[in-house]
Amino acid sequence: MKTLTLISIILLAASFSGLQPLNAQTTGHEVMEKVYHNPTGDDMQSELTMTLINARGERRTRELKQFIKTEDDVEKKIMFFLSPADVRNTSFMNFSYTDGSDDDQWIYLPALRRVRRISSDDKSDYFMGSDFTYDDLGERHPNEDEHVLIKEETIDGHDCYVVESTPKDSSYMYSKTVTWVMKDSYLGLKREFYDRNGDLLKVLSIKEFDQIDGFWTILETEMHNVQRNHRTVMSIKDVEYNTGIPDSQFTERMMTRGL
Amino acid sequence: MIMRPIEKKLVILLLIISLSSLTVTAGDLFWGGYVRNYTGVLTGGDNELSILQNTMNLELSSRRQNVSFHVNPYIYQYSDRDIELGLREAYLDIYFDNFDLRLGRQQIIYGKAEGVFITDVVSPKDMREFLLPDFEEIRMGITAAKINYYLGGNTFELVWTPVFTPTREAEEGSIWRPSLEFPAPVNFDMSEKEVSPKVKNSEIFFRYSSLGSLMDIEVVGGYFWDDDPAMHIIRHIDHDSGELHGLTATPRHHRLYMAGGSFSLPVSSFVLRGEAAYYNGKRFQTADPASENGLVTKNYVHYMAGIDYSVLGWNISAQFIQEYITDYDESIRLDEFESTMTILARKDYLREKLWIELFSYIGLNNGDALLRPSVSYELSDGFEILGGANLFLGNKGRFGQFSNNDMVYTKIRYSF
Repeated sequence: MKTLTLISIILLAASFSGLQPLNAQTTGHEVMEKVYHNPTGDDMQSELTMTLINARGERRTRELKQFIKTEDDVEKKIMFFLSPADVRNTSFMNFSYTDGSDDDQWIYLPALRRVRRISSDDKSDYFMGSDFTYDDLGERHPNEDEHVLIKEETIDGHDCYVVESTPKDSSYMYSKTVTWVMKDSYLGLKREFYDRNGDLLKVLSIKEFDQIDGFWTILETEMHNVQRNHRTVMSIKDVEYNTGIPDSQFTERMMTRGL
Repeated sequence: MIMRPIEKKLVILLLIISLSSLTVTAGDLFWGGYVRNYTGVLTGGDNELSILQNTMNLELSSRRQNVSFHVNPYIYQYSDRDIELGLREAYLDIYFDNFDLRLGRQQIIYGKAEGVFITDVVSPKDMREFLLPDFEEIRMGITAAKINYYLGGNTFELVWTPVFTPTREAEEGSIWRPSLEFPAPVNFDMSEKEVSPKVKNSEIFFRYSSLGSLMDIEVVGGYFWDDDPAMHIIRHIDHDSGELHGLTATPRHHRLYMAGGSFSLPVSSFVLRGEAAYYNGKRFQTADPASENGLVTKNYVHYMAGIDYSVLGWNISAQFIQEYITDYDESIRLDEFESTMTILARKDYLREKLWIELFSYIGLNNGDALLRPSVSYELSDGFEILGGANLFLGNKGRFGQFSNNDMVYTKIRYSF
């Protein structure tokens, strides 16, 4: 997987070796290109847990198992919902194309016993009631934004580039994002999302990351909607890279069969 | 499949054994399901309870290497009827490299249409409460052998059902019993209603499906029994007066051929859906006095065009459905074209804890409709309370015939 996806989330995973800090002429675009092109293996599977925490501290938990595979021009992803009980055995499949074509998406609802195609257009929808939109979880090509390296800063002991990204499409759901990128690994450590009025809307913070199978992997992250004081903590476990997931994993057959 | 008392005891015993074994085999066995209370009250008359139903739905499954099983027993307990035990599904799956085999009682669903049955004719319907139950409860399981062969993203499916299962109709006296009008007193002869379980009476279906970047397509066909019996009418005429003084109605199932297909096509922010089926050999009631047994055999076409889209956070689905009787003659009791629309609008609030939904059937021929507004709230994960109404508009037609059955209801459901 050559791209940055967040459900993979977490997924700012990078091969630590071979990455060198940029020099003094570093631009914001170069930083975000480095992040985008971080190699993350040919395939990956993991178990994902999302904990939704409202302003009163009440928690709701969603668990799913995901498989991701990147081929030449397409990233294939299939997710199987494990909990809560009323969505168990639901599956979701997404094909994301590097040429910018619209994603292909399908959902299998076990109560209906059939796979249904769904529109991938509205990426501003929130995923499973979490604070992550579908767009937050997917990849965003650096060419879709103008990037400015606004400063360098150390947070939690990590030296970071701070890049402000403004969308070229003025109708995009965020007016800008600001990302703290670790100089040593090109992992995004923190990101602020500003709404269309320019007010801070959400803050994404990486809580835990480690090197697995040679790839830096973010193991726990939190998205905090500061306007509604609602949080989503997302964590992954049982991460495996390059296990040779076959193409047949990403088919109607597997969506209906389940895990 | 509804059970006799001895079978009920057997199922209870099996359930007890299954549940008690969970403690020692939980590592191999998946189990889940839900418990639900469903209470409905008629809004007219004396506000009678239209339904008071408590449900337990249990799903058990296990997989070892290339073999798995799935069992879905259910229990319905009513305030005014005997307890009902049944098996919605009970099948074995055997997985091979390029094909799968499923044997046993199973639900098989075809097509892309929502809320209507066009090519979706494999699993028969339980119509005891019209179209009001959840669709997983409307569709009944059938005993079948199903083989699926996979080639890339393509699926080829063949289904053989050795035993015919008809539509389960609302019982005599039920408020959901469709109105039948006869010009004279009628006596029903049920002697020919059963289709005996012989190999020559088995049904066969095939399906090809493909999920593609451009579109999803499905092609289906079948040779099967019409789930709904045709009513063969014998007129009893007084030889002296020449007056009609009685009828004998004999329900009988007939063979049908069906070929059809469906597609889903993403276009920008929309998903366009279509589905069509051609039926050969359908019996229709006719007023033609020269007809044999009050029936005429015609072919007919059933098709749908639909669109799914989102606007202001609402997920909208709209469908136009039409049934067309070919080579029509005016004596047929149904219209040559019967047109229906469905509209579904759904939106969530409070991060998918609160859902507001309106699902409507609109009969265009008779100006009738069924409106189904509902609100559901998830008190905690897997624990949901739903309140809704079923409103029948018009006074004739598929929906208008139930104009006295407007109801409000609640469903409280705990999933585990």
